[in-house]
Amino acid sequence: MSLLHVENLRVRFPTDHGEVEVVKGLTFDLGRERLGIVGESGSGKSMTGRALMGLIAPPGRVTADRLEFDGIDLRNLPESGLRRLRGARMSMVMQDPKFSLNPVIRIGEQIGEALQFHRSMNARARKQAVLEVLEAVRINEPERVYRLFPHEVSGGMGQRVMIAMMVVLQPDLMIADEPTSALDVSVRATVLEILDDLVRRRGMGLILISHDLDMVARWCDRILVMYAGRVVEECAAEKLHEATHPYTRGLLASVPQLNETRRRLPVLDRAAIGAGT
Amino acid sequence: MSMAIFSRDWLLSEDPETRAQARLGQFYRLMRALMRNPLAMVGLAIIVALLVVAAFAPWIAPYSPLQGSLQNRLQPPSSAHWMGTDELGRDILSRVIHGSRITLYIVLLVAVISAPLGLIVGAVSGYFGGWVDKVLMGFTDIFLSMPRLIMALAFVAALGPGIENAVIAIAITAWPVYARIARAETLTFRTAEFISAVQMQGASHARVIWRHVIPLCLSSTIVRVTLDMAGIILTAAGLGFLGLGAQPPLPEWGAMISRGRAFILDQWWVATMPGFAIVIVSLGFCLFGDGLRDVLDPKGKVKV
Amino acid sequence: MISIENLTVSFGGTPVVHEVSFAVAQGESFALVGESGSGKSTILKAIAGQAHEWTGAIRIGGDALGKRRDAAFVRRVQMVFQDPYGSLHPRRTVDDTLSEPLAVHRIKGHDARVLAMLDAVGLSRRFRFRLPHQLSGGQRQRVAIARALMLEPEVLLLDEPTSALDVSVQAEILNLLADLREDRGLTYLLVTHDLPIVSFLCDRLGVLRAGRLEEVSDVASLRAGHLDSAYGRELVARSSG
Repeated sequence: MSLLHVENLRVRFPTDHGEVEVVKGLTFDLGRERLGIVGESGSGKSMTGRALMGLIAPPGRVTADRLEFDGIDLRNLPESGLRRLRGARMSMVMQDPKFSLNPVIRIGEQIGEALQFHRSMNARARKQAVLEVLEAVRINEPERVYRLFPHEVSGGMGQRVMIAMMVVLQPDLMIADEPTSALDVSVRATVLEILDDLVRRRGMGLILISHDLDMVARWCDRILVMYAGRVVEECAAEKLHEATHPYTRGLLASVPQLNETRRRLPVLDRAAIGAGT
Repeated sequence: MSMAIFSRDWLLSEDPETRAQARLGQFYRLMRALMRNPLAMVGLAIIVALLVVAAFAPWIAPYSPLQGSLQNRLQPPSSAHWMGTDELGRDILSRVIHGSRITLYIVLLVAVISAPLGLIVGAVSGYFGGWVDKVLMGFTDIFLSMPRLIMALAFVAALGPGIENAVIAIAITAWPVYARIARAETLTFRTAEFISAVQMQGASHARVIWRHVIPLCLSSTIVRVTLDMAGIILTAAGLGFLGLGAQPPLPEWGAMISRGRAFILDQWWVATMPGFAIVIVSLGFCLFGDGLRDVLDPKGKVKV
Repeated sequence: MISIENLTVSFGGTPVVHEVSFAVAQGESFALVGESGSGKSTILKAIAGQAHEWTGAIRIGGDALGKRRDAAFVRRVQMVFQDPYGSLHPRRTVDDTLSEPLAVHRIKGHDARVLAMLDAVGLSRRFRFRLPHQLSGGQRQRVAIARALMLEPEVLLLDEPTSALDVSVQAEILNLLADLREDRGLTYLLVTHDLPIVSFLCDRLGVLRAGRLEEVSDVASLRAGHLDSAYGRELVARSSG
């Protein structure tokens, strides 16, 4: 069963030099699986994520032939309906926890706030739910962390808190936009494992948006490679290294290897790619 | 914009060929952003009108601002005297027009004295931090904690009434705000890498502050000065009203209101007309300042 | 070229780098690797004169450095920063940024030198009067490299110069750095957490952990995955996933 159905998604912004299209007709289906969207800055990958969540602010415009989440047409949904969906059934993890958490509210209360908004439950049940979700994201002392302020936790912990906040309502779809790029290498794996675990156990659909080919290949089932607003390649994650599109091939080749002996790294020939699409 | 060389494309070019083209292009973008804000344009129109009126006052004013005929005293507004006449038979319109010169003089002088002073104190304080910051900001706080009008009153009382002394008094109470703003602004990028980079190239502290720090504080200070203009006009008018600013028979707006106070119930126009002038000009500076802030202040502006 | 002996750096009285010693030969490219908080950037800051609380000895070309950095030092050692968005002044054009070091050191011939440098770092001359926000990340980093080279230094301190860039752009910048080193005989001291970059750009590396130097090894051992210290092997394992 398909959870998310996107057909011909377009995102446009007006500029000095006319209207610019940053997402140019994206079509894909998402089941309860892990989908990776890879691309470089300006490829439109983040805008895709934001458009799916209904987070593109005017003067940006989003159009699509179909945009359905679990049978609900997202295109004509009023803001209030969208708000009810967001958080409760679809949620988004952003890049940097430092900017996404309110610095003057205790962590436990921030997580609980979502419950208060979307579910009717008493204070005790709410706290219990928050402690459980903190445990689910592998925070060892949930009681202690519950009372901390966002600045009192490390980056990795902050990102786990963000994830906890996003999964406390048990959404069906999670969009993670560069969830690890603000984190240290040693913490990245943990955060991704938690996401992975949640997807498997709760049967969520996950869209992982990243510039890191290797990371996406390792943690996703299927990959979309975006370039200049279009999907240039779609493949199973394990087949990424057999990719055929010149952009994907160029991207793979330009990453230095641990046993690097090339004198120069191959560089993308953007003109050739532009002509090819 | 009719000359080919100043075409829109030339100004908006992403690849300017000369420094001049780059600068003009930036200026054009700024002006265009400002033009999209109708309220800011209203403000700008008022300020331009003030400048024109002040510049051509002797030619615009239908009568002398200082001499009237006592037969004509306290005439209501009419086709001969659009704003009526005052208790000495002087044409109020002419006095308001000439008063614009005094207002402009005070406002500009205060801005020229207080803004650079505040900017330098703030930038130095924020850049060096440590004890330099403590001393300078302590000093600033002392001035900041004193109520502006009372301070100005005290100064004028000590130095004697007059426009120059009023200007000095207002300037002395106005600069600490700019110092605070410049310091806050400097603190946000004091440790930025572009500052480290110029330091690493051997630039002296004076050069870093003057060429790299102050230009970044400039826009927020300009915005604040424009917004403060209204306050400065009101303070000057207040001093004039209390008889401590411009001295009669100079047609200073505040002083005119003060004289008109005696007839406020029967000859309302004597006090009201200069009051309108103050309100309109203050409003003009406020509107323009708000518009400038939207355009110049990078904070709160989302770039896509 | 660079010689560091028993360097201890502190912030507010707390030492974050403990008794680190290593030397970099003329024309060599040396990497300091470790995670954030390992003190690798702090060592660079101490050399650059941005961290003042340090003890031990730092020598550049045999001359011991004091607490202040003089004009002779900045003409010998320059730095490229991590964040191409934060390291360029937002209100100054590329031309202003590149001319500034010439103005500071009263060097004549701005126009010719700026144009030659734009060519050297592979930036089109039409970018000369652009502001930083009109450039892409890779172009900005080229400007930052050009700025560092304006004074024709012998040593470049590179603080994660490609970590904020896209992979395809990273390849371009890494190629540029490799070419510049070869053309100009530059000595590099590179700080990074990314081992494959070390493998591409460097001759030797030092592994830092919690402010201490765990080992110094050559890149051949890194490529073969034979680092001596347990921590070094852990880093290698993590990076090859």
